Order: sequence, then structure tokens, then C-alpha cells
Amino acid sequence: MKTGMRARVQARGLGWTPLGATSPVLCGIDLEVGPGERVLLAGPSGSGKSTLLRALAGVLEGVEAGDPTGRVTRPEGERVGLLLQDPRDARVADRVGRDVAYGPENAGLPRPEIRERIAWALDAVAFPYGPERLTSALSGGEAQRLALAGVLAARPGLLLLDEPTSMLDDASARRVRDAVLAAVAGTDIALVVVEHRLAPWVGVLDRLVVLGGRGSASPGGLLADGPLEAVLAERGPELLDTGVWVPGAPPPTPIAVPARLVAPRTPPAGDVVVASGAGLVRAPRRRLLGRTRTAPVVALEGVDAVVRAGGLLAVRGPSGAGKSSLVDLLVGLDAPTSGSVGATPALAAGLRPDLARWSSRELAARVGWVPQAAEATIVGSTVRDCLLAGARALRRPEAEAGARAEGLAEILGLTHALDRNPHRLSGGETRRLAVASALVHGPGLLGLDEPTVGQDRHTWAAVAGLAGAAADAGLGVVVSTHDGDLAAHAHDVLTLREGRVA
Amino acid sequence: MTGLLRRTGPLSPLLAGFVLMAGGLTVRDVAGGLAGLAALALAAPFALAGSRVSWLRLLAGVLALASVTWSNWLLASPRELEPALVAGLRVAFFVVPGIVLAAFVDPSELGDHLGQRLRLPARPVLAGVAALQQLDDLGQEWASMARARRVRGLGPDRSPVSQVRFAADLTFSLLVQALRRAERMTVAMEARGYADLARPGPDRARRTWLHPAPWTGADTTLVVLAAAVALVPVLLPLVVPPGS
Repeated sequence: MKTGMRARVQARGLGWTPLGATSPVLCGIDLEVGPGERVLLAGPSGSGKSTLLRALAGVLEGVEAGDPTGRVTRPEGERVGLLLQDPRDARVADRVGRDVAYGPENAGLPRPEIRERIAWALDAVAFPYGPERLTSALSGGEAQRLALAGVLAARPGLLLLDEPTSMLDDASARRVRDAVLAAVAGTDIALVVVEHRLAPWVGVLDRLVVLGGRGSASPGGLLADGPLEAVLAERGPELLDTGVWVPGAPPPTPIAVPARLVAPRTPPAGDVVVASGAGLVRAPRRRLLGRTRTAPVVALEGVDAVVRAGGLLAVRGPSGAGKSSLVDLLVGLDAPTSGSVGATPALAAGLRPDLARWSSRELAARVGWVPQAAEATIVGSTVRDCLLAGARALRRPEAEAGARAEGLAEILGLTHALDRNPHRLSGGETRRLAVASALVHGPGLLGLDEPTVGQDRHTWAAVAGLAGAAADAGLGVVVSTHDGDLAAHAHDVLTLREGRVA
Repeated sequence: MTGLLRRTGPLSPLLAGFVLMAGGLTVRDVAGGLAGLAALALAAPFALAGSRVSWLRLLAGVLALASVTWSNWLLASPRELEPALVAGLRVAFFVVPGIVLAAFVDPSELGDHLGQRLRLPARPVLAGVAALQQLDDLGQEWASMARARRVRGLGPDRSPVSQVRFAADLTFSLLVQALRRAERMTVAMEARGYADLARPGPDRARRTWLHPAPWTGADTTLVVLAAAVALVPVLLPLVVPPGS
């Protein structure tokens, strides 16, 4: 930090041990961010980046249970803006205008000034709609820009962003990043951005701080802190090892997974599931309260797709193109509203072809699925229970399923967590657990929805390795993704645009 | 004509609901109950014109009044139809309009009015609005969790026992999930000045509100209308003496 200027935030000896954990997540952190500084904060999955950000914002205690040490100081009356990873968590009102107004209202500003702030903040993030737009009708990128507008409207002196673009496709991510840069340009706002993928921020942020994580040379402490380009040049290989996406480095190599851990119980052959002219219209959402109503949405129209045994099909396209909807249809979660989606006899094995009407057990025996929000498929009170839940529901021999579960856990680095509560895992661990849980009972079809979004390199390699090994072992695999590195491993690619095959 | 409920704020429908509830308690005989329902039916177009009412929601009210009537008949000794009908009419008198009125209360507007018109402290009001909004999202969360379980083989089969067990299990998970989301939402709210509202002493921020919360003529009219309807069962015996 430049001397002579007062720090916007200062941490001294900062530490944090979550309730029930044996070792601290953060330990002895000294960090100062001055006015106008632009800091990129990186580190492996589970290294405490979000925790540090919350501590700097002064909202850690009282929200999470744990044991703090050291202290964080900010100038009296300094406003802090904190943007969270998932914009759904930041939604405080049903309409855009109300949502942005939340901060200024709490600050007690007069009404005309609140309106000015709303207009200014929506303009600063290049928001495409007016203040009357419903917040429930926004895409991921729009919702994240709205959340940013809400944070900016309070005119913070310290702006903390927690993976603001990790859930977005490239185009939306670029728009959010540009909105951030435009909003702080020419101001003395101190900016701290947490991200896994560093490339988009090189050349626009000027300092890189790296957290080591528990397994590093300085557990819980800072691994590096200095000018961004210099740190990348000097410490690149070390950062790669921790799982950080260092710009210019080749994509990670998918991990090797033995076929016996992912092989289907009854290997299908040829086509597994076929969509012909499939369309999907989603009914409007029913609301409990209030007068607002939304219209039905056409998610897909006239889509032809085939998932082959032994093949990896990548479904690509921009946000809102219907990628997730297509995966939902192909794995039998939803029935098409027009056209047809049918399992071939190779997969159906005696059942009717319309897999959306199969019973829960009939479907589970044949299909594995991991949604974008991977935590949705997490069940049970231990990681082991979660891995075995499907096999137990299907009354499969416990010994056989147990061996597969333990084998997968070992490859994915989850062995140490087998007896832990699955809801206490980090984001990357949760994703790996969800993918493994979908494969333990040996289905013939696997559907993955944006499996690499917001993941560090280690988790990326694990997910890509599992998807590839599953296809090699004879499963039909379908992956929706906007990740070009992952799609490069696919055998077939299908691109959607506005619900149709492009 | 635009119905009153399209022009009122959120407080008058709530107040009207309470007035009708008080009226319902005064229903003493079948004639009074029927007269009250007739008055409701006459008043309904003024309140509802131009709005759509979800009949599915009303089904719950109809079920409630049917079960009240039936159990009052079944469990009474000797079994008599009239007291059971009166009990049912009482419920019908306030439950059915209550369901309709509640659908017109918008959580955000309710916050505006509770904070400005009733001058309730901002923090509990904002927490309440956030909770109502979460409640609105629960249905969607339920659906997405049920889907995830179905694919994992944990969905229910046709037997009622399995359906009940599935629903109980899912309810528990939904509550856990809601708590986690509430935790994250609290962080977002705290980071946007919600915490400033709690600061003790004179420098505590006094919250302002983007939207005004006016009490309009439509609000008064709705409450007066509800009061008039609620008085029908009370006044009927004075106009038409019972037994005449």
C-alpha cells in the first residue's frame, strides 16, 4: 500500500476456526488495502477466501459459528459493499428498483436522492431493464449485475466481490467484469475480487494476494502478496499446484479413473436416449402471495439429439439457450411438451420408452444426474451415506457398492471426509461428491449440468476425468457446459441458441 | 370498473379480513349465515372486478368448511343438521374471503405500509418481508429437491406410507435448506446497511422508504364494505325477528 494514505481496511493477525473444526481456516493474516487499490484474491478450493472477505466486511461473526482471533479495522463510518457468489442470496425485493434502493433506504436518504442512486447504479452496471422489472425474471448474469448495482448504490469505500463471475458464461462474465471496472474507474474505492480464473482480471487489477489453504507451506496464511504480473511470473508453477487457474497455463489433465469404478451394471450398446422434435414449455410459476404473475416460457423447440453408449455429448450455447432443459429431458426429469424423448431398449431394458414416466427406482437404476446446484442431490448424514444412498434404495449388494464408493472417494480426495457431514464440505468437494454419488450404483446414462462452473483446477480435473471414464466404460454421457476446455473432451457437440439447435 | 382490491394498499385487505372474522362469530342461525353469504356475494364484484381469483386456493377453504360441518354433525349427540350448518357457515363467512383477500397482500408493499403507516421498527419489518419472500420460494425449492431425489431412487412409490415418509423427509431437508439460505441472505442484508439500523444511540440510521404508503379512499371503502357485510348476520334478527 502507498505510504501516507489511510488504509480502507486493515487486518492484523486475523484467524478463524469454524465451530467443530480441528485446524483454523485462516491463521495470522496481515493484510492492508488502501484507497484506490485493486486487489485480486485467489487460492485453492476451501482455503478460506470467502471467509476472509466476510471478515473484511465485518459480517463474519454473528453469521457463522466459530472462533476468531486478531482484528479487522476500518475507518469510522466507512461503507463496505459485499457481493456474494450466488446473486439469488442477495435478492431482497421483488422488483429491481426496490432491490437497488435497499442500501440507500437503510442509510436514511431522502426519496429523490434514492431515485437518483437507483438510476445511477443501474446505469453503472449497464442494466438492460428499468426499475419495475421483476427480480425473479432475470438471467444469472443480469441478476449478478443487479446485485452489483445494489452494492454500488450504497456508495461503498471498500468493495468486496466474492467470485462475481464464476456462475456465468463468458459473455455475461465479461459484462459483469466491465461493469465492476467502469463503476470503480476514477474513484478511490478499494476493490478486492475473489476469483478462481485469473485471466480476465490480468491487466485490470494491480495486486495479487494468494491464500495457501490447509495443505500449503503456510496453512491458513498468505502464500503470496504483491504486484499481480510479478507474482504470476515468479510464483506461477506454485500457484498452479494449489489449483489456481494461472493465465496461459494449459488446461489440466483429467484424472485417470479405473473403468471398474464407473462401469454400468448392464452396459448399453448403440443409442441410449433419443430426442426427436422435442419441445418444452415451462408453466408459469405459482405464487403464494402478491399480485404479480409471470408468463409461460418456451425453453426448447424442435430439438433433435442422440446420446450414444460410450459417447460424451456436450450441449453448448449461451446462457438461457436451454442447455439445462435439454439435459433435464434426456435424463427423464421432465417430459417434453411437444415431440418425443425416448429411451432405447438398450437402456429401458423392458420399460416403456418415455423415461419421464418411470418410477423413481426404475429411473435411478438407469440414470445418474448432477444438477448445476450440486448440493441438491446431497442426502444423508455422512459422505459415505450420500455415496451409497442410490445403491441402498435399489437394494444393491452393500459390499459391492461400498467398494465402488470407497474407490471413487479415494480418487477424488474424499477419503478423509467419508464420515463427515456432507453439508459441511466446500463447494469443490460437494461437486466431486455429487458426481461420484451419481455413478456408484452403475447407471447406463449420466447427465451433468455445468459441472465445472466455479471450480478450481483440481476439481475440474476430477469432474472431467469421471465424465470421460464413464463414457469410456460404455455409459451414454451428456454434459451441458459453456466451458470450452471441457467440451474439447466430448465426442459429439450440440449447440443450442434460444431453445433451438443452432 | 376496476375492483377495489386492485387499488388498495396491503393493510385494508388484512383489516377487512379481521372485520369479517368478527362478523363470522356473530352468526347464530342458518338464516343469518345465509344472509351474510348473500351479502358477501353481492359485495364481491365491487372488490374483485378485473382480478382473477385462483379457484384452486379456494378449494382449501371449501374443504375446511365441509369438514367443519361434517364433523359437527357426526360428533354431536343427537346428530342435528342445523348447528352443524351454522358452524360451517361461520367458517365460510370468514375463511373464504380471507383466502381471497390474502392473495392481494404483496410482501414488499406490506413492508412499506407496516414501516411508514404503522411506524413499526424497520428491522423486524424487513426481516418479515424477507421471510415472506422466502416462503414464496419454498414451493420451487421443494420441486427441485423432489426431482433430485427421484433420480437418486429416493422418491416415493405408490403406497401412502411411502408418500408420507417422503414428504416428512423432504420437509425436514427443506427447513435445513431454508436456514442455510437465510444465513447467506442475512450476510447480504447486513452488508447493505441492515446492520446500521441496529446501531445503538443517536447515530442510529433512520430508515427511509422508496415508495410512499398512502391510505386511499379505496382502502376506506373496502373496510366499510367489509364492516357492512359483517353486520348483516348481527342486524338480521332485528329486521326480521327469528321465528317469524
